[in-house]
Amino acid sequence: MSRIIVITSGKGGVGKTTTTANLGMALAKRNRKVVLVDADFGLRNLDLLLGLENRVVYTAVEAIAGECRLDQALVKDKRHSQLALLPAAQNRMKDAVSPAQMKQLVMALAKKFDYVIVDSPAGIEQGFQNAVSAAREAIVVTTPEIAAVRDADRVVGLLEANGIRKIRLIVNRIRPEMVEANDMMSVEDVRELLAVELLGIVPDDERVIVSTNRGEPLVLSEEPSLAGQAFDNIARRLEGETVDFLELTTPPEGFLSRLRKILTTRIL
Amino acid sequence: MVSDSPTPTDRDVSSELTDTAESTQSEGLNLHQQIRLKSDGGQLVVHLPPQSDSDTAGELTWQELWQQLKHRLQASDRSWQPNTRVRVVAGDRLLDSRQLQELDDALSQAQLKLERVFTRRRQTAVAAATAGYSVEQPLAQDLLQQTSELSATALAEPLYLHTTLRSGTEIRHPGNVVLVGDVNPGGAVIAEGDILIWGRLRGVAHAGAAGNPQSLIMALQMEPTQIRIADSVARAPSDKPSQYYPEVAYITPHGIRISRAADFVRPTAAVSPDN
Repeated sequence: MSRIIVITSGKGGVGKTTTTANLGMALAKRNRKVVLVDADFGLRNLDLLLGLENRVVYTAVEAIAGECRLDQALVKDKRHSQLALLPAAQNRMKDAVSPAQMKQLVMALAKKFDYVIVDSPAGIEQGFQNAVSAAREAIVVTTPEIAAVRDADRVVGLLEANGIRKIRLIVNRIRPEMVEANDMMSVEDVRELLAVELLGIVPDDERVIVSTNRGEPLVLSEEPSLAGQAFDNIARRLEGETVDFLELTTPPEGFLSRLRKILTTRIL
Repeated sequence: MVSDSPTPTDRDVSSELTDTAESTQSEGLNLHQQIRLKSDGGQLVVHLPPQSDSDTAGELTWQELWQQLKHRLQASDRSWQPNTRVRVVAGDRLLDSRQLQELDDALSQAQLKLERVFTRRRQTAVAAATAGYSVEQPLAQDLLQQTSELSATALAEPLYLHTTLRSGTEIRHPGNVVLVGDVNPGGAVIAEGDILIWGRLRGVAHAGAAGNPQSLIMALQMEPTQIRIADSVARAPSDKPSQYYPEVAYITPHGIRISRAADFVRPTAAVSPDN
C-alpha cells in the first residue's frame, strides 16, 4: 500500500519545503515512485526548490476543478523520472479547496505512487486542514527554537485529533557548537517535550541555501554534505532501515583540534 | 496525604515561587467552551457547549469543537467499555447532518455508539431523526428550568485523563482533575478542585478556580509557566533546580508555596495554630 505522508510544522520557515524536496528526491533515488504535493496554495514554492517552475502548466486546483486531467497537472522531475510534483496554484487562496476535495485528489495519486508526500503550509488553518485530510502519517519539522517547538507541539496535538497516529519528528538546523555551549536547545530537549519518535536530525548548513536558490535538492549534490547525508538517512529510516543518527557533537574542524578535544575530554 | 502529622509546615523545603500578589477574577468557572463527558446510568452523556445566535467572539467553531472532542475522547478512552451508548446533549447548538456524521465518526473511533440526540433546535432534530438517531426535544416550558444546570455547588465527579496536554489545549472542569501525562508549555488545566498531574507540569494550572483556597496542585515535576490557586497567582523562579521531586503547591497566608510531596503537610493543619 502506498504511503501518504504530510510534512508540517505550524511555524513557518523551519524547513518544511526543503525537507519535502530533499526527502522526495532521496526516495526517488532509491527507486521509489514518489509524488510531492504542494498544498501551500497561494504561496507555492516547492516547484522552485526542485527547479521545476518553468515546467508547471496546470496546478492542483485545476485538476480538482476538472479543468485538466490529474496526470496533466503532474510535473515529472527532469533528473529522476520516478519523482513527480503536483504544483499548487498561485492565483488562488487556501480556501479554494476543501479537505474533502484534497483527500479525493491524494487518494487518486496514492493509486499510482509508492509515496505521496504532502507539503503543508505554515499555520493551522484551512490550508493545514487540507494538507492533513488524507494523510496516514505525519512528519513534524521543527528547529531547536522555543517558538518553533511550541508550534510543533500544538500541531502534534492537532494531528492526533485528526486521527494520525504515526507522527515523527525532524529537528532541523541544529548547530552543534551552540548546543554544546548551552545556547541552543538540544535534540534531546526537543524530543523530551514533544514526546514523539525522532526521525532525523539535520544540521544547519549554508549549502542548503545555495541548493535552494539553484533548485537542486542537496541530496543530488556531488560533493557530500552533512545535511544531504541527514536527508538520505531520513529516507532510509522512512523505508524501515535502522540508521544511526549523525554524530553532530564534533564539528568538522581540523584533525588537531579534534585531537585536542579528545585529550581534554579524557582528562576531565 | 500526610495530613495528621503534628509538626508545623514551616519545615517546608522550598518556597520557590515569587508571588505576584495579584488576583485573578473568580466568578465561577466558565465552562462555556468545554465539552463535558459524563457517565449516566451506563451510558455516556456528551454535553456540547452552548451557542448563541449572535457571533460572539471566543465561541467555539465547529472545527474547534470537533478537535476538542477528539482530544477528550482519546484522553479518557479507558473510562468506558467498547460499544457504550452515547447521548449527545446539543442544547441550542445547531448541528447539520454532516456535523452529526462527524460526531458519530469521532465517537465510533473511540468505540462509542451515538444513539440519542438532545436538542432544542428543530433543524437539528430533523437532521438527527433523518440520520436515524433517536431525538429528544424538551417542551417549551422546560426551557426555563434547563438554565439552572450550571448552578450546582457540589463539585462534579473527578475528571481522569490519560494524555499529554499539548500547547493550545485547555481542560476546564468543575471538580478535581487527575492527569496522567505532561502539561506542555501553552497547555492549561483549570479546575474548581485540586489538580494532580502524574507527569511534568510546564504549562498553566489553576486549582480552586471558583475561589476555593484550600485547593492543591500536585505534580511529579513542577516547572510551570504559571500556577494559580483561587485568587493567587505565582510564577516559577527563572533558575531551574538541579533536581526535581514530586511537589505540592498550596496557599499560605504569604501566598502560594511549593513543598516536596514527601514533606508536605496539609496547610490547614498548621495555619490555624500559627495565626
